[in-house]
Amino acid sequence: MTDPSNPQSGARERDARSEQAWWLWKGPALVWLALIVLFGISFGVAYLPLGGANLAAHLAIAAVMIVLLVTFLMDMRNATAIVRLIGGAGLFWLILMFSLTFNDYLSRHY
Amino acid sequence: MSDTAGALQHPWPNLRLQREGVGLGMWLFLASEVLFFGALFVGFAVYRSFNEDAFRIAGAHTEIVYGSINTALLLTSSLTMTVALRAATTNMRDLTLVCLAVTAALGVAFLICKGLEYREDLKEHLFPGPHFPLSPPATQMFWGFYWIMTAIHAVHLTGGIAVVTVVFVLFKRRIIPVQGSTMEGVAIYWHFVDSVWLVLYPLIYLAGRS
Repeated sequence: MTDPSNPQSGARERDARSEQAWWLWKGPALVWLALIVLFGISFGVAYLPLGGANLAAHLAIAAVMIVLLVTFLMDMRNATAIVRLIGGAGLFWLILMFSLTFNDYLSRHY
Repeated sequence: MSDTAGALQHPWPNLRLQREGVGLGMWLFLASEVLFFGALFVGFAVYRSFNEDAFRIAGAHTEIVYGSINTALLLTSSLTMTVALRAATTNMRDLTLVCLAVTAALGVAFLICKGLEYREDLKEHLFPGPHFPLSPPATQMFWGFYWIMTAIHAVHLTGGIAVVTVVFVLFKRRIIPVQGSTMEGVAIYWHFVDSVWLVLYPLIYLAGRS
């Protein structure tokens, strides 16, 4: 609590508060900036004549954006082992669904 | 009773474990959501692999300006949601409330943009059916997926906005303390809805532009 008889303690408290506010915004703002830049790159790539590589580039950029979002904004980097396991299980079943589906469709010869 | 004491619920021994428990439950739900949206994405991918040109033609008719504005809105809402969570964890009540309000407002702005976009689409009769203006016929498949996927995403976002609004009111009226575990689940869900859009955006708006 601020000591009214000591003006320095009020200033210290304000400094501590602004430092805390800086800590709250700094990391997420950097990730947000990276996401906006990647979004801009993806937008720009859309107008380049790359043929089939356009979609591949878009999906690769989207994958990087999701990794950034999950790692830093959803804080997976500090998550417990069981949370990582559940996140990984979701990804695993998604990959399995795509693999088995395309294993069928891409191997049909008609 | 202090705010911290009110935040701790039975049977948790401390707030850290309680937050982890809420986060775990939300991740479990989201793992099932991944498969829900995954089924739509795999369907889209299969039809696209057989009708590449038709999907490219159809994709060129989406409203890229609305789609891009909405992407920026959602990314920014994820920033404010993250700060809301961090502020709540450190018991900065005012900042938590401001960030929650901004997050909900950005979500509403997304829905307004989406509504304007739907209006433009309907004006051009881009709804699969008798008077569909594009050819070949497989372009209707793309637009079928467009309506289903964006509408389901909008429903998820609407749910998110409703939850954020309710939590805001509960915090504002001090019915529940900000530094409890509530924000943990809300934030993870919000970011998930954002991440789904990050896949939808290139599939719907960017493919077919070059």
